[in-house]
Amino acid sequence: MSVSGTINLIWLEGQDCAGCTISTKQASNPTLIDVLVGTIPALGEIRLVFHPTLMPDWGEDAAKVLVDAADGKYDPFVLVLEGAIPDESKAVGGVFCVVGEVGERILKLEDVVRDLSKRCAAAVALGSCASFGGIPHGSPNPTGARGLLDFLGKDWKSGLGLPVVCVPGCPPRPDNIIQALGSLVLVARGVTPVPELDEWHRPKFLYGYTAHELCPICGFYAEGKDAHAFGELGCLGGIGCKGIITNCNASTSWTDGYGGCTRTGVPCFGCADPNFPDPPTSPFFAKAPAMAFVKETFAGNWGHFKMGLARLKRRKI
Amino acid sequence: MAVRELTIEPITRIEGHLGAHVKIDTDARKITDAYVYSPMFRGFEIILVGREPSEAIMITQRSCGVCPVPHAYSSAMAVDQTYKVSPPPMAVALRVLVHGAEQLYDAEVGVVNLEGCDYSETLVKKFNPDWWEEAEKANAERVDIHGYEKISDIMRALNPFTGELYVQSLLIQKAGHNMAAIFGAKHPHVHSFVPGGISKANLSPSDFEAYLTLLMRHIAFSKKLVAATDDLLDFVLKQGYEDVGTREANLFSVGAYDAPEQYSAEYSDIGKFGKARLVSPGVILNGELVTTDLVEINVGVREFIGRGWYENDWEQEFSTDPLGNKIEREHPWNKRTKPKPGKYGDWTGAYSWVTASRWFKGGKSHVVELGPLARMWVTAKAGLVPESTGNSLRFELPASPIPGFFAEKLELEWKIPEKPNAVERIRARAYYLAYTAYCMLKMVGSALELLKAGKTEVWTEYERPKEGMGFGAVEAMRGACMHWCVMKNGKIHNYQYHAPSTWNLSCRDPEGQPGPVEDALLQTPVTEAGDVDGWKGIDVVRTVRSFDPCLGCAVHVHVGNKVVRHKLLPYPSNF
Ligand code: SF4
Ligand code: SF4
Repeated sequence: MSVSGTINLIWLEGQDCAGCTISTKQASNPTLIDVLVGTIPALGEIRLVFHPTLMPDWGEDAAKVLVDAADGKYDPFVLVLEGAIPDESKAVGGVFCVVGEVGERILKLEDVVRDLSKRCAAAVALGSCASFGGIPHGSPNPTGARGLLDFLGKDWKSGLGLPVVCVPGCPPRPDNIIQALGSLVLVARGVTPVPELDEWHRPKFLYGYTAHELCPICGFYAEGKDAHAFGELGCLGGIGCKGIITNCNASTSWTDGYGGCTRTGVPCFGCADPNFPDPPTSPFFAKAPAMAFVKETFAGNWGHFKMGLARLKRRKI
Repeated sequence: MAVRELTIEPITRIEGHLGAHVKIDTDARKITDAYVYSPMFRGFEIILVGREPSEAIMITQRSCGVCPVPHAYSSAMAVDQTYKVSPPPMAVALRVLVHGAEQLYDAEVGVVNLEGCDYSETLVKKFNPDWWEEAEKANAERVDIHGYEKISDIMRALNPFTGELYVQSLLIQKAGHNMAAIFGAKHPHVHSFVPGGISKANLSPSDFEAYLTLLMRHIAFSKKLVAATDDLLDFVLKQGYEDVGTREANLFSVGAYDAPEQYSAEYSDIGKFGKARLVSPGVILNGELVTTDLVEINVGVREFIGRGWYENDWEQEFSTDPLGNKIEREHPWNKRTKPKPGKYGDWTGAYSWVTASRWFKGGKSHVVELGPLARMWVTAKAGLVPESTGNSLRFELPASPIPGFFAEKLELEWKIPEKPNAVERIRARAYYLAYTAYCMLKMVGSALELLKAGKTEVWTEYERPKEGMGFGAVEAMRGACMHWCVMKNGKIHNYQYHAPSTWNLSCRDPEGQPGPVEDALLQTPVTEAGDVDGWKGIDVVRTVRSFDPCLGCAVHVHVGNKVVRHKLLPYPSNF
């Protein structure tokens, strides 16, 4: 697999808030500008040919890109979806999400995604909405919103033979976005191997661990010190932290070493979880399911016991 | 008269999905009819019903990734009232610092990356080639501050993805997100706002140091941006652009940046602490300031279905606010909305997912405009802050020795313009960047005073009550953001919220009055070069973008009627 030449990016916004775009803009390693102006030689030339929030063109000039892409004029391209896809059959007599108009033709998001999925080299679902439905999909899901994984199916394969790649988070951590996208471009260039995905199609190198496993204040958990109030330093599990059930690395920091959920003292409420914003992530201040803590306590005690033994053994190095 | 109809969809470089349909008299080169609409719906308020009010703080933010914090702030204010829990002063200061941090980045993204592009070399050469010739000759008056010799240099600096200002703005914006993340954990969608305070652990002087360091970069950049914007826009006005996007001065602001010791969770206090805000609340009708009282502002709000795709059948639940002031059936504490999808592009019937919000006084409904122009105008006129002179806002930015930028201290004065128009909306946004940076400097000062006095608590403990209601309001970049919460049995019974674009992008109301953006488009002259059939509508998009629309929020703010109940899985929510 090796694409030389230009790789185009077609970035659609469905039922979104542009938060993933704003997050992408903050990435540092590399930055969005680095990617677009070609600072990194291995990435080659990448052109952002459609992006509703950033592109200079508007109206038909903009919408036409989508029609032309479906006809192959922008091959090879990576399809990026931000936001969920509503079920237009539920919008009886009307529309839930239109992304443009060309002549008399009204481009519904649903149709555009279906058309472009037939040609794209890879498809990336950015954020919890595009991945699993996210907020619009929240109960009672008034618009029948769903994520790309559901829409195209777990067996769907892109032009390069890749399944849908999900980068959840609300929004995802800036570097997660740019690194997930970058890794796919590098795969297309034949530079790196295909990243391994988990059962929710998340790249394991970014989502392989829970927010709890990576938590910078997990020492308090290990010592059995809980925070009882917001603002108190201690494990936040007693005031709603869902880090124990959520695969996410934003507990560590947000970007450039600033912020980070539990690091700042904020209980994780599972915004990257496939169930967000419904149970077990909601109610957000409710504790994570007791089973998660019970299981971890048993595993932890056993682990501590073995660690103790290991520390009593004679040193070899 | 020859008429050309033009539909522009999508209007890009805004947040969200927006279209415009205009009729242009091609002989007179004027817009004679205009409709703006949003073709996207997510149903946020339907999703909120039946949840705990505290969840609204997290969920409503997610209607807009560009300006989530005003939602967090207004929602937290509404929920503080609903739960009757006043946050300690330090928590208020931290909430304000997070809010201000976002406003900094948001002003920059608006002035430069979204709206500025329309005045960049690339676009000007294409649509107004005669301006370009002039611009190459025209000297930029404030070259000492921004460093651009000619107006054409400023235009070149605005070129998308490559221009110096374009790239610099993107880079400096990161400093805004980072500042928000210090006390908000992340941005967009800050996670630290909770009822009764903020969940920031381990607060220390170094948090403020980090914040200040980044703030100074914005101060340096804002000097450059204000100067460059002034020069560019003065030039654009000279090309005869003052009538593009103009309308009467009917303006609305709810104010922003609370005084930490004044804020409280009592609805009866909002009038008082509203007046202590560093950005003043107020309404201006036909150029006259008619109120600065947040209670009066709230009571006058009415949201009509107008020509939106919704049903108009709900019962009035409350006849007064908690203080006994009369409220109407269309007040958001009463309003319910049932989506009723309708035909696309029906300009004689319903045509948008945005409703028609209006402000009432003296038995009349007023089409008011929201945004930085409105709040700067109100603040300059109201005389509630020392910087307000009655017809201008005067303040001084300190020295900012950041390499590559103008280092000296600088006095700035924003003067109330003759009329609102496309150009003045952008200018006000640039000045608001500088004013916000100035206010945040003050706010860090207040927070450090609290720190010295040992007032470091960031949360007031509470026990979830069963019943309550609240109203929260603060200025987002593009205008007022307002939330209304009604809680019954510990759960949200009705939650309504208005983003600025709920007002600015509103559709025709029952009286047939067009919304503010539609109104601004009407009679707008067309300056676009080239033959009529090829017109792309540059003057239309410049007008629309001058409002910095954020459609994400505007249409996700509709509450379901009671039939659509929340079916959450059985879950022991008391744990
Ligand atoms: S429960 Fe939350 S705060 Fe506690 S250690 Fe785990 S992730 Fe960190
Ligand atoms: S709330 Fe949890 S899932 Fe969401 S960003 Fe923070 S750590 Fe990640």
